[in-house]
Amino acid sequence: MVFRRRNTDIRWLGPAFFGLFIIGGFGPAVVAFEGASRHPVYVGFKICAECHAGRGSTWVRSRHAQAYTALSKPEAQQIAKLSGVPVPPQQSPLCLGCHATGAEAEPWERDPTFAIQDGVQCEHCHGPGSEYADSATMRNRELAMKMGFRMPSKEECHSCHGPKGSHDAVLKRERLDIDTLWAKLRQPVPGSSDLTDSSLPPLPTSPKEPAFVGAASCAECHEGPEKQNHFSAWRQSSHADAFAVLATDGAREIAAAMGVSGDPRTKLECLKCHTSVYHRPASHVLGTACVYEGVSCEACHGPGSQHAETYSRPQTDEKNGLLKVDAAACLSCHENAHGKPFQLPENLAEASHPTQAREREEAEPQYKTPVNLAVSPDGKELYAACDASKSVIVVDIASLRKVAEIAVGAQPHDVAFSPDGKTAFVSNRLDDTVSVIDTQSRKLTATIPVGDEPHGLVVDGQGAFLYVLNTLSEDISVIDLGTRTEVKRLAAGRGPWSAALSADGNWIACTNVLSHFVPFRTPSRSEVTLIDARQGMVTLRAMVPGANGLRGIAWHPSGDFALFTLNRHKNVVPMTRVVQGWTITNGLGILWRDGRVDQVLLDEPGMAFPDTTDVIVTEDGKYALVTSAASNRVAVVAVDRVLKLLESADETERAKVIPNHLGKAAEFVLRWIETPVCPRGITIAPGSNRAFVAASLDDRIAVIDLKSFQSTEVVDLGGPQVITKERLGERLFHSAANTFQRQFACASCHPDGHVEGLTYDIEPDGIGVNPVDNRTLRGILDTAPFKWEGLNPSLSRQCGPRLAVFFTRVHPFTPEELSALDYYICTIPSPPNRYRPFGAELTPAQRRGKEIFYRTMTNDGRLIPMDNRCSTCHYPPLYTDRRIHDVGTKLPLDEHGLFDTPQLLNVYNSAPYLHNGIAETMEEIWTRFNPNDQHGVTNDMTKDQLNDLVEYLRTL
Amino acid sequence: MRSLSSSWRPLLLPAAVLFAGSWTAVASAGESAQAQSEPAPPALAFGQSVDGVSDEDLPYIYTEWENYTVEDGLPNDHLFSVRATAEAVWIGTENGLARLDKKTGAIQSWKEEDGLPWRAITSIDVDPKTGDVWLGLFGGGVARFSGGRFDHFHQLNSGLVNDVVYGVAVENNHIWAATTAGASRYDLVTGKWDIYTEKNAPMEEIWNYSVSYAPTVNKVFLAIWGSGCLEFDVATEKWKDYIDPDKEMEIDLYRDDGIIHVITTAASFADGALWVSAYFGCCRYDGRHWRGFYAHETGLPSDFTNFLKARSADEAWFCTDKGVGVVAHYPTDTYVAYYRNADNPGGVAKVFRRGRLLREVPLEISIAHNFIIGVDFDGDDVWVATAHGLSHGIGKGYYRGVKRLTQEPQSIAAASSASADSK
Repeated sequence: MVFRRRNTDIRWLGPAFFGLFIIGGFGPAVVAFEGASRHPVYVGFKICAECHAGRGSTWVRSRHAQAYTALSKPEAQQIAKLSGVPVPPQQSPLCLGCHATGAEAEPWERDPTFAIQDGVQCEHCHGPGSEYADSATMRNRELAMKMGFRMPSKEECHSCHGPKGSHDAVLKRERLDIDTLWAKLRQPVPGSSDLTDSSLPPLPTSPKEPAFVGAASCAECHEGPEKQNHFSAWRQSSHADAFAVLATDGAREIAAAMGVSGDPRTKLECLKCHTSVYHRPASHVLGTACVYEGVSCEACHGPGSQHAETYSRPQTDEKNGLLKVDAAACLSCHENAHGKPFQLPENLAEASHPTQAREREEAEPQYKTPVNLAVSPDGKELYAACDASKSVIVVDIASLRKVAEIAVGAQPHDVAFSPDGKTAFVSNRLDDTVSVIDTQSRKLTATIPVGDEPHGLVVDGQGAFLYVLNTLSEDISVIDLGTRTEVKRLAAGRGPWSAALSADGNWIACTNVLSHFVPFRTPSRSEVTLIDARQGMVTLRAMVPGANGLRGIAWHPSGDFALFTLNRHKNVVPMTRVVQGWTITNGLGILWRDGRVDQVLLDEPGMAFPDTTDVIVTEDGKYALVTSAASNRVAVVAVDRVLKLLESADETERAKVIPNHLGKAAEFVLRWIETPVCPRGITIAPGSNRAFVAASLDDRIAVIDLKSFQSTEVVDLGGPQVITKERLGERLFHSAANTFQRQFACASCHPDGHVEGLTYDIEPDGIGVNPVDNRTLRGILDTAPFKWEGLNPSLSRQCGPRLAVFFTRVHPFTPEELSALDYYICTIPSPPNRYRPFGAELTPAQRRGKEIFYRTMTNDGRLIPMDNRCSTCHYPPLYTDRRIHDVGTKLPLDEHGLFDTPQLLNVYNSAPYLHNGIAETMEEIWTRFNPNDQHGVTNDMTKDQLNDLVEYLRTL
Repeated sequence: MRSLSSSWRPLLLPAAVLFAGSWTAVASAGESAQAQSEPAPPALAFGQSVDGVSDEDLPYIYTEWENYTVEDGLPNDHLFSVRATAEAVWIGTENGLARLDKKTGAIQSWKEEDGLPWRAITSIDVDPKTGDVWLGLFGGGVARFSGGRFDHFHQLNSGLVNDVVYGVAVENNHIWAATTAGASRYDLVTGKWDIYTEKNAPMEEIWNYSVSYAPTVNKVFLAIWGSGCLEFDVATEKWKDYIDPDKEMEIDLYRDDGIIHVITTAASFADGALWVSAYFGCCRYDGRHWRGFYAHETGLPSDFTNFLKARSADEAWFCTDKGVGVVAHYPTDTYVAYYRNADNPGGVAKVFRRGRLLREVPLEISIAHNFIIGVDFDGDDVWVATAHGLSHGIGKGYYRGVKRLTQEPQSIAAASSASADSK
């Protein structure tokens, strides 16, 4: 890397004090947009402090100024985890939205004088300042407002300071009294008017020295966990406040005692030890540095421009232009300073920032969570994709021992081998990649980008192509294994999940976990996608009426049919039916080669077989083994009996009766085999008479003897023995033990903590009214209140008594269980946005869409009322005001039109939309369901504007 | 029932009888078809050589046609579009989609009650990578037919600019739609919709009639009512426009100065040549020179051209309101026009060179109708969408360009014999 210049026109900072902050006015911003509309950009607090010196000094010592660096604290990591943020908080737009200024801004919307590391600055509330920040404009309030200056209301403070479950849970401190703080903010700040350009001493200069670059420039490299958050450590120290403290009465008293009269901020005697730029000479000061940063990196290490330019070279500190720091460097200011004791080496150690990682606090137990398995073609090894440990664990089948663990991407889901067994492929659903593993060296050799949230994957019979099922982008990446590049995308159903290759290598059958969109209040219709592997084309899409949640799939050795797991959610009848035993039923589907589909249930009256997850057929084709993730069992199904049942039934029975018949399982299920917790993937080692089951929440693999159909052994994958609160919650989330007749688990409706896309008629507001769309659990905690009606203030209420009364119909969770469940739900990760990588510029379309999102005028020049603008109710960082509004979406089945404002993060992947899921696409929200402009003023928009708006929304 | 023309060959007369006569004499051979064509200058004697090209240098003439109508399983006889693939021929009609299995001859069809999102299919393209069939729906947007499933994209549920779609084309991972309110481009990987109108493309008018993609140059060509032809470079995302330089609507003031008319109906690129059709004739551009084609100069059936498709830099097929016109060999200015008789399934194929009628070949079975709106190539064969059914021209022995034949090709000889017999 090279030193990242914020602008090619980095300018000199002259010796005049406030000329120090910026030379050439707002040059870069203005120059960049001259001739075009003057798009305001962020200039940073340094510019504001030019006139508001007193407030600047106050701000530097405030929590706002440290908001960014607060994200480096361990508490921030915990909060991020509880917010479903799977990246470091300083790389999360969600966190930065309240802990920094201009988090949404593109790089070009930030002036060189602006640094995001400066936390919550003036412009966070007052808007980007390039167009109003000059003193002439600011003296004319009306003009300033026209140029983008904003006076925030107290209400706006709530967008960041409102109740947040994640912060409350970790920080455990009293909520801020916004009224008091608001009043304090509005009080006049002393010391603003007695600081002028002419009152400053000249800067010490030396042409031979490098230039000062400022602490934020140092932070470009010296921040983040790998650098022990050097910048944050400094920013939270008293060094960072050293200049600001000179504005205090105490500083004046000390100055007076030293015989220094006047404002200490203007006195060289004080500035020499309270700022970097006066501490030692430099050739000049770049616009990225300023006195307000007090005693920063360059006070001790010397002006850093040379170092910043050349740091990547393996040179000594001296050659890089940095000074060695020793006790003398500290003592030059701290020795006998103001009567404050300074002790070496303690104080030096306190200020130091080691490059080696400090001793870590006790790490949380690291679980494995094996979710899917594959046996190597030679039958010797078993690979387990482990979601929690970001690894693949290799088990020697002969000894049933773990022999290796290979790091892969985040949330690995499935694993497949090339036909020669030399290569294994692993789908990483959080990273949108496939890891390529050399099985001989057990090394990761490549990472292939694919579509959104890949799950299942399969290699064709020739080993030429890898098919990767991208669950969220609803397509299938076809990877040429010769070049390891994607050559095409096949359209899948909704939520492609698992794939299986037929024995002859010609056919790939894929399940889809979500139903197709269906007319409002009609049963699901799901798809099994059949691909001709010889052509790499979809040849058949078999429909499975009344079913959803299609997950595992396996071909019968004959190739005549494939078996797949399914759920049948009865979402068009009221949820009261749970006590009658069939709100959700679970079973197997049979896909015949001609596209016909049969369905049978694996539930029995009074004892469901919830969350059928995977299926495998024995080599002789006689038996199918099916996992029930929510009841810790494997069902052994006699295939011939299933076929006989179907053959003996007439067409009506096959279509209408058998798919719903709870009494049929007894005719073909031979045995239920108990397993460790949450069995998901299942596979068979050819010739071994053994099946292996991934007990995902037990970090073990259960071994089933296929002669006795007994679970004979388990393979310990090395996960921790302790069950944490989060793990307990995860187990509860995936267990049906707490529902009537064990019919379903939380995960039944929230696969991967997301949505199954169905609309339900839930009882509390009456039967047959107010159908509501299921909502994602990803990043849910801070979006309270919950439910579309916005009635539930907390997750504990949502998942506690309400769940027991209206869903599970059994005794509610114990307080301990409920707390654990809520905790786990909060930690379900929300993937980073795929349409705008962190720090990336917007595309032109997204940029235009952003303007529409924040627009205040219609195309024909009418003012859009404040309460009918997108950003009024959907403001960052969550893009919800967490209140209820009537946006004109009430339908005859709704008792009222007031609904919760949904958050918009990753909104692109949570179709359908609106409270009742009636909008299949984002476009339909406005083209069909906003006829009276109640859901924002949108009907004046042209089609290309709507497209732009959608493109922007996808970046949130 | 589908009708084959092979059975009538033995009845034909020697070809010399037919081709020795003048234009007037020839006219009587195919009277009903001839009545629909523009008058042409008198032809020279058979065998006369001009610029080194002999009248014996003949293009391939499709003499074997078979036709398909509702009786054969088409959902409707009013065809709007046709697209051939290795396995099948896809047919878009006024009311339904059909698939003709080339191996079995079976026709499967879909109407709205079968899940087809919209009845009228104006355009068809097939994604060569996925096999998905993309349909332009006249008033209904765009549909994808994949594995038996129809996915419907329209202006309410997607970013498609308008539901009146005249043309659809697959370009790499994009789908293009030519609509009455601009062009749309759909990214199959990202889901992004782009709209091209006067705001961001050189479209003086936004009524897009046709779109095609040329993979060899990675360019998309739009034919636009009132805005000529637009070329979109996929790699650079830059536009280039071809408009009528003389800006005259009724006349082509300066010959071959550019595109023939600003109202265009289709554009097709092949082997370095861009062919553009209009209601006022057609034209060809080789990157340096334009060349216009008018019925009264060439012998083509009509200037009113609904559609065209290029087979090569030298050969293009024009779909006119009075028959099928073919620039059979551009370098020698050789044309073939196919007509259907008004009162029987027969017709005639006429060969012209530089405005002279060289030969006239009677066809016992000709194209299904003279109002032509779509054409596609299928190896040596050709498929033609007409106002009354689908026509299949069987290109047995097809050759490019012209050949100086040492003896009369059998098919032509047979056809000529039949014509003489009928006289």
